[in-house]
Amino acid sequence: LPLSLLNAAQNKPMLVELKNGETFNGHLVNCDNFMNITLREVYQTNAEGDRFWKVKECYIRGSTIKYLRVPDTLLDAVKEEQTRAREAGKSARGSHISGRGGARGGPIRGGARGRGRGM
Amino acid sequence: MLVVLRDGRKLHGVLRSYDQFANLVLEDTVERIYSGNAFAEKWCGLFLIRGENVVLLGEVDLDQEDDIPLRQVDYHLLDPYHRQEIATKKVNDEAKAKILYEQKGFCKEGGEGDGY
Repeated sequence: LPLSLLNAAQNKPMLVELKNGETFNGHLVNCDNFMNITLREVYQTNAEGDRFWKVKECYIRGSTIKYLRVPDTLLDAVKEEQTRAREAGKSARGSHISGRGGARGGPIRGGARGRGRGM
Repeated sequence: MLVVLRDGRKLHGVLRSYDQFANLVLEDTVERIYSGNAFAEKWCGLFLIRGENVVLLGEVDLDQEDDIPLRQVDYHLLDPYHRQEIATKKVNDEAKAKILYEQKGFCKEGGEGDGY
């Protein structure tokens, strides 16, 4: 998923282009569900590409972002991390579920049916 | 997939994932520009596009891709022509918008004019 890709890209270099055309090249420090991000060691360029700033840290509001360009190697790295995390999660949950699966099944099914009729 | 952005860019890439906001992850993305009877491509790699900047996206028929009637040229050769066309279009659109506003009572775009 897009936002999980972004979360997994922490500490990786990337290029962010804003809606006004300005570009920010830097390493991702953090991000949230609104796509607000903080970058470190940033090279900022204006839309025309004729002015440059070096900025140690900056915060970019998600709503101003047009897109983010990310190193291609990131996709493979992230996929690996995700499959590893999924398998770790599954094996941890698998041992717990066996007893409770039946109890969970009942209420969930009833709820889904109820909502369906309402719509 | 072909994705058209609000700034007019046309990106070709493989759609990897999306979410409820239509944010997209596009892999092996190529930006394509057109001018006259020629087109040019620039390789851009992996993109995470914020959904609100997308105008449309559509599936590309790879078979038809082999029969494009245009000739392919270098990106840096075609770029100046492409930029010229964009500038002309911008002037025309602004003139149009001005006339519509002044003579017909249409409202102006909120300053965030789209490039497509």
